[in-house]
Amino acid sequence: MSVFRGFRAILYKEFLVVLRDPFTLFLMLFPPLIEMVAFGYALETDVRRMRTALLDEDHTVESRQIVERFVNTDTFRIVERVGSSEELAAAVRKGRVYVGIDIPPGFSRDLAAGRTARIQVLVDGSNSSVAGSALNTAVAVALKESMARLALAAGTRELPFEVRPQMLFNPAMRSPNFFVPGVIGVVLQIATTFATAMSLVRERERGTLEQLFVSPLRRWGLLFGKLVPYLFISGLMAFALFAVMSGLFKVPIAGSAWVLAFATLLYLFALLALGLLLSTRAQNQMQALQFSMVFVMPSVFFSGFIFPRDTMPWIFRSIGSCLPTTYFIETARGVVLRGATLADVAPHLVVLAGMGAGLFALCALRFRWKLG
Amino acid sequence: MNAPDTSTRELPMIECVGLTRRFGKFTAVDDVTFSVARGSIFGFLGPNGSGKSTVIRVLCALLEPSAGTARVGGFDVVRETEHMKPLIGYMSQKFSLYDELTVRENLSFYGRLYGFHGARLRKRFDELVAMTHLEPYLDRRAALLSGGWRQRLAMSCALVHEPLVLFLDEPTAGIDPVARRELWDLLFDFASRGMTLFVTTHYMDEAERCSKVGYIHLSRLIACGLPADLKRLPEVNPPGMRRIEVACDDATSGLRVLRGVPWVRSATAFGQSMHLLVDAAATDDALRSLLEENGIGAVDVRPTGPTLEDVFVSLTDRANGGAR
Repeated sequence: MSVFRGFRAILYKEFLVVLRDPFTLFLMLFPPLIEMVAFGYALETDVRRMRTALLDEDHTVESRQIVERFVNTDTFRIVERVGSSEELAAAVRKGRVYVGIDIPPGFSRDLAAGRTARIQVLVDGSNSSVAGSALNTAVAVALKESMARLALAAGTRELPFEVRPQMLFNPAMRSPNFFVPGVIGVVLQIATTFATAMSLVRERERGTLEQLFVSPLRRWGLLFGKLVPYLFISGLMAFALFAVMSGLFKVPIAGSAWVLAFATLLYLFALLALGLLLSTRAQNQMQALQFSMVFVMPSVFFSGFIFPRDTMPWIFRSIGSCLPTTYFIETARGVVLRGATLADVAPHLVVLAGMGAGLFALCALRFRWKLG
Repeated sequence: MNAPDTSTRELPMIECVGLTRRFGKFTAVDDVTFSVARGSIFGFLGPNGSGKSTVIRVLCALLEPSAGTARVGGFDVVRETEHMKPLIGYMSQKFSLYDELTVRENLSFYGRLYGFHGARLRKRFDELVAMTHLEPYLDRRAALLSGGWRQRLAMSCALVHEPLVLFLDEPTAGIDPVARRELWDLLFDFASRGMTLFVTTHYMDEAERCSKVGYIHLSRLIACGLPADLKRLPEVNPPGMRRIEVACDDATSGLRVLRGVPWVRSATAFGQSMHLLVDAAATDDALRSLLEENGIGAVDVRPTGPTLEDVFVSLTDRANGGAR
């Protein structure tokens, strides 16, 4: 107990200070929720029900049927019918619609005569994900129609090939399922590291640290006393974020919530220990804030949050390997989406625990129990 | 816990030998040696930046000495820090408190830090509140206290564990005269009960109240001893000179006249009178007639002793002269 001397006193004081300092509490709790919702929606890459303009110059049963096939994919939504190809082009150019479908006169006549019936699809290429999705769907619709007609013409009922893909985990291919666990990892990183960094630097600035050094308090007592209240608060915050995930974004947790909670605590401990470590270097609160922000960008880009790590150059992949966020996101995706068990994610948890313990020990070693 | 040991009673509570502290190339404290007896009030004086706070910080184990040794309560501040810490209280210049916490919470926190719980904590808490009259402010946040009350709270926090030695770094800077006097009353009370006090200050009247004073100038301790002994130093009382206090109806003009006279070594204004160091050969009558010639009347001459200020001025002059 002796190396932790003073732990309970610091714990008592730190909880009071945190609760009395609405600004820090606000900075810890509010932005993460906003960021979570904003990130979650902004990273929505599912393209559905795109605004589409239609120019039907054929006016036949067949033309109406093919338009219906387009609409049935749920990718297109006809919001406008135009009378000329100029109007169609203008609708796309002015940004009123993403897609323009032009069925030229003689479409059904060509079809009946066994000639290639042409449909023109105008796509707004200024947004690549929208364009790609529109293109793929349009081509798929045409291909499927063609195959059906060829089969009919050949008198066969069955198609020669069929691939039956079965999507495991996230069958609806919803992007929130993929992104939101990562968003939680990044948001927690932004919100926690600075808190412990600031809190220790503030004591240094105010001179209260000097007062603590004179007391029989030991460094482990001080560091744990500083860390635990923030672990508690950021734990609550993580709980709120996971609640938003399953409530607002409708991402169910496939695996055990306990495993997820355990992984989150290990992750938070590592982040808070990092904050304490930064505070041993920072001269003032501004620097503490800047130091903790240095870790945010790599955590966004190299953790596999947005870009798959496997396709990264080795240097970025190595940076990612040093970040706790990388292992947390892997674990969270595993548990939330694939229903991974404790044994499945154990390697990641071991790394997280090691990072936390290592950072904390480093911090205790580096922390100078002296002034000057 | 180390109970006050009667065998240490005769040993000094604070003892520095050749204490030196450097920051890079700058020597903040240079070869300082002094000791403070148990139950005494040691006044530590010197201009800003002369090394006062550095000495305190070394004695509180906040800084390590670059050379020399320091012992507090018989324990070496470097090697026996953990034994020494429970014996000392420290009130820093800034009255470091937690602004978000109330007076009650600040006190409770320091109590817990020193291992007080439950009934013991409550008892000690009540004693401190009674002693410092903090009662009406218990639920006020420390940020909203005025200077005098902040200082009282900071002192209560430093006293929570009933230290044997209390270090106060400029405890009276920026507080009103009433609070200042009350603080000194408390300090005398502590000293009479055996506590050893180490106080830095800029005020000469406070220095006069101390049982022992030290004066640090350009990182070196240039005077240390009982105030009465210091006033008898030959540097302060040059042979063939005497100190007089001269009251008159126009001290300002008087000073202007006297500062041009060869047999007046120094002349200082002291309210409506002047403190002079003059040649022993110069008579009071000579002085009186000189002033009256210049239209200054109601002259009253009395012999006087040196003040501590005179002591420090003389010693500083000598130290500066020696350096030149």
